[in-house]
Amino acid sequence: MVKVDRINISNEGLTKFFSPIEAQIMGVLWENNEMMTAEITKMTGIPLSSVAGTLDRLVKADFAQRRVENQGKRVRYVYSATTTADNAANAITTRILDSLVDTFGAVAIENFSKYKNDK
Amino acid sequence: MTSIADEIICYAECVNNSDLLPLITLLVVASLLLFAFYLKTKTPIQRVSSFAGAQTSMLGAIAATFSTMECGRMLTIEVYLAYVLISTGIMLFLQGSYYRILIRHHNAKPISDIVDWADDFVNALSEDSQVYYFDLAIPKAFASGKAIFISIGMLEIFDEQELKAVLAHEAWHLRHNNKTPILRQLSLMTFTKFRPGQELELMADRFAEEIVGKGALESARAKLV
Repeated sequence: MVKVDRINISNEGLTKFFSPIEAQIMGVLWENNEMMTAEITKMTGIPLSSVAGTLDRLVKADFAQRRVENQGKRVRYVYSATTTADNAANAITTRILDSLVDTFGAVAIENFSKYKNDK
Repeated sequence: MTSIADEIICYAECVNNSDLLPLITLLVVASLLLFAFYLKTKTPIQRVSSFAGAQTSMLGAIAATFSTMECGRMLTIEVYLAYVLISTGIMLFLQGSYYRILIRHHNAKPISDIVDWADDFVNALSEDSQVYYFDLAIPKAFASGKAIFISIGMLEIFDEQELKAVLAHEAWHLRHNNKTPILRQLSLMTFTKFRPGQELELMADRFAEEIVGKGALESARAKLV
């Protein structure tokens, strides 16, 4: 499972929300329009078996989408991100903020205001 | 109700006084010898055959022991017979129809939709079989009933010869009605642990080698590492 709900605050960058392999693959998909499995494997340097399993999870979690392309005698998946990196960031932060407000209510909102003013 | 200890004493007495004692002894000895052979031999076909022989002999010994019982209705016999009947029934039912459940579970579709040669290739090796593909990036293939299932991930990474090696391997399982439920059932009936999987896979690999050559099988295997 892609575990966006399990935030690891001490991690760097996208690995706060994704596993390192998921983050690498999503990075590649956000930077490129459409990609085949072999291209993702080549660009990330991650073994095929790990890439394939991770892509299945990312598709199931709706971060990536795929279609089947059948050219000549070869069948291939073509992958793309379901949304832009900015939209994904927006969705993730909204979920996190909702969760903080649900749990801490006014304290969380007060802190957001303080944070905004400080910035 | 008869206690388990009473039943064991009854078994011993009935077997000792029975005309079938030599047969039971012979079957048990044969089973033990075949099992020893199974542990020693390295050839897949001999391992599978000796395992099946050992299990069948042990089952024969169990049946002969039961037929000597003169102690009337015994709970352990009834429980065992119910277990054998139910598990055999489930096995026979699932063997014929489980692939239909798998088609629904994986939302599998006929491979003829996207690959034109696969069904003909498999049918030449195993009649009335059908190949299905399903939506999964992980390279995966398996056989059940009269169907072979192959993931798109496998179609994606293998060339035609490598796919033929995989399909020939799976067709061997269909031809021999294997991942042999019979072997598994024999093992369950005699409460012994055994995984014939490795031997069966080796035999399926040998068959695939005969059909498409060693090179295609080895390159397919290398791509999965």
